[in-house]
Amino acid sequence: MTTSSTASSHPGISVGPTSEFSLFFRVKPGQGPSLRSALEELQNTEGYRPGDYGMAIQTIHEARFVLFDEDTRLAFITSFDGPWDAYMEDFFTSGPTLALFDVIFRHVEGYDGLPDLAAVKAFVLSAEQAAAAYARNYGGTVKEIRKAERVNAAFQQVLDHPAAAELLEHPAMQPLLDEAGD
Amino acid sequence: MTDVASPHLELDDIQAGALFERPSPYVGTYLLLHITDSADGRELVRRLHRIVSDSQTSDRTGTTLTVAFSYHGLRALGVPQESLDSFAPEFREGMAARAAVLGDVGESSPEHWERPLGSAEVHVAVAVLSRDPAGLEEAAEKARQAHAELPGLQVVWRQDCYQLPTGRTSFGFKDGIGQPAVEGSGRPSTRPQEQPLKAGEILLGYPDETGELPPMPTPQVLGRNGTYVVFRKLHTKVAAYRRYLRERARTHDEEELLGAKMVGRWQSGAPLALTPDRDDPGLGGDARRNNDFGFADDPRGFKCPVGAHARRANPRDALDHDGSVDVRLHRMIRRGTSYGPMLPRGVLEDDGADRGILFVFAGAHLKRQFEFVKTQWLNDGIFIGAPAEKDPLVGPNDGTTGFTVPRRPIRRKLHDLPPFVVTRGGEYFFAPGLNAMRWLAELTP
Ligand code: HEM
Repeated sequence: MTTSSTASSHPGISVGPTSEFSLFFRVKPGQGPSLRSALEELQNTEGYRPGDYGMAIQTIHEARFVLFDEDTRLAFITSFDGPWDAYMEDFFTSGPTLALFDVIFRHVEGYDGLPDLAAVKAFVLSAEQAAAAYARNYGGTVKEIRKAERVNAAFQQVLDHPAAAELLEHPAMQPLLDEAGD
Repeated sequence: MTDVASPHLELDDIQAGALFERPSPYVGTYLLLHITDSADGRELVRRLHRIVSDSQTSDRTGTTLTVAFSYHGLRALGVPQESLDSFAPEFREGMAARAAVLGDVGESSPEHWERPLGSAEVHVAVAVLSRDPAGLEEAAEKARQAHAELPGLQVVWRQDCYQLPTGRTSFGFKDGIGQPAVEGSGRPSTRPQEQPLKAGEILLGYPDETGELPPMPTPQVLGRNGTYVVFRKLHTKVAAYRRYLRERARTHDEEELLGAKMVGRWQSGAPLALTPDRDDPGLGGDARRNNDFGFADDPRGFKCPVGAHARRANPRDALDHDGSVDVRLHRMIRRGTSYGPMLPRGVLEDDGADRGILFVFAGAHLKRQFEFVKTQWLNDGIFIGAPAEKDPLVGPNDGTTGFTVPRRPIRRKLHDLPPFVVTRGGEYFFAPGLNAMRWLAELTP
């Protein structure tokens, strides 16, 4: 009777606060080259260029599009903070993300285009495959990682100060002093 | 997105509770009924249909009567299975079955709930609110007549409730301020920079913020102009809350400040975003100004902590650049009310009285509104980059969790937060439109 909370509404496995999310598509016949160039273009968009670290969805750790089987298939693979299930609706109504995906999805089978959100939703859900195994090497959310990076950069700046060693002598500074040696 | 013309709401078919503020102050009663005979149940619905308040006329009377049904209630009335199956899955499961998801664990878990809350015995909820005891008595008498001489009906639970003239609830804070405006209701937004919500966010049968119609139970006549209602009896541990703050504050002012940091507003209702350093009762009581703010100018939470209850429950513009969330998909109408005696000012010892809030939500989407806000924003901290923190006031804290109060030169961290709110029970209901009530009354099984 109450069947909706099966695989389709709970795709992906989580490790700590982070969930994996993978989509697999079939490329429309003959559209391999045009999809490849659409992805190249995406790669050169502001925020998506290597080193920009500025994807539209700020809770995503990383994302990749992989063309395989002689460019007849496409995978979209990502990790993001929070349960996918809860954020699904937001994803489907978020203008920038949808517009971006629209450019890619139009090259794959089964996609009828915007603005029929219900159809897009069904299409994406049908392409989702949960990972059989998923591991992570750090536990933090993107927000925590960014904060940690800012704090470390600040700490390094403090260490560059000529008086740093002396300042870190205070007993309260011991945990920082322990991290200051290398 | 898609251009949907502002809908004409069928106000004379919509129960008043969802769209309109109640009189203030008021007194009220919640009744839960159990149907043992479906013909008597339908007779009740027929009688209630005549006295229920619609959104056109309720304004004039100062008294409102609202009726809602649980999944088991609809079944007891003889609603066909096919139609029952068309309701939202969370509604069909019932609140007790959602306990693990909602964080109703430990002291809050259904095995400790007040009987018969959370059980299949709860069928019909009737709420009567009035400006004064005389009006309430009159309305309650009408409700009594509606179930009088119907042996197939039992009142299985009753709770009196009220709103103080100050609007304050048990922890001392004015409540019920932050509410979304609904397109077509004729009530303006209290936050000028915020467009009214599409009617379909609150009412079934109208386009919602995604541009589509919310999933609606069938047949159409049953779903249209209805809304889902979340009802939760939340016991508040006021003495424990006061002691927690007292132990961590050197002065009365600091106590007030810490309390305000947890909520995001001062006790008067004045928002920290507008007056971060001291309460401003004039602002708190001014409905034109007390909701007119955002958080975009305070991303790190120096004025209002990112983990404060009201900022979690409605982050407003704070997540605009997050790209992961559309805050407008997670709003709700709240119709909470106080129950039990207030703990007198200054008392730090628990007097054993049961007091708190009857939390009431109205909205078209149980899952992406109530359950999302409760699970992602109040019970969790992933979205603010603090997965270990929960809502300091209403979250399922367990004595080990903490709360960060951003402050210069260094942040203040509150440790060892105990739970201040305990769920005593609740249920998911459906408040149908008036035509739907007639349909229910006329069911022929
Ligand atoms: C006993 C439990 C609770 C207490 C004492 C409480 C108290 C408060 C207070 C004092 C405010 C600020 C005043 C206002 O804007 O109305 C507030 C706001 C709010 N609360 Fe609660 N609350 C409780 C439970 C909940 C729950 C369970 C939810 C949702 C699942 C919730 C959702 C909200 C929302 C949406 C706002 C308005 C935020 C805004 O628009 O600024 N509250 N609450």
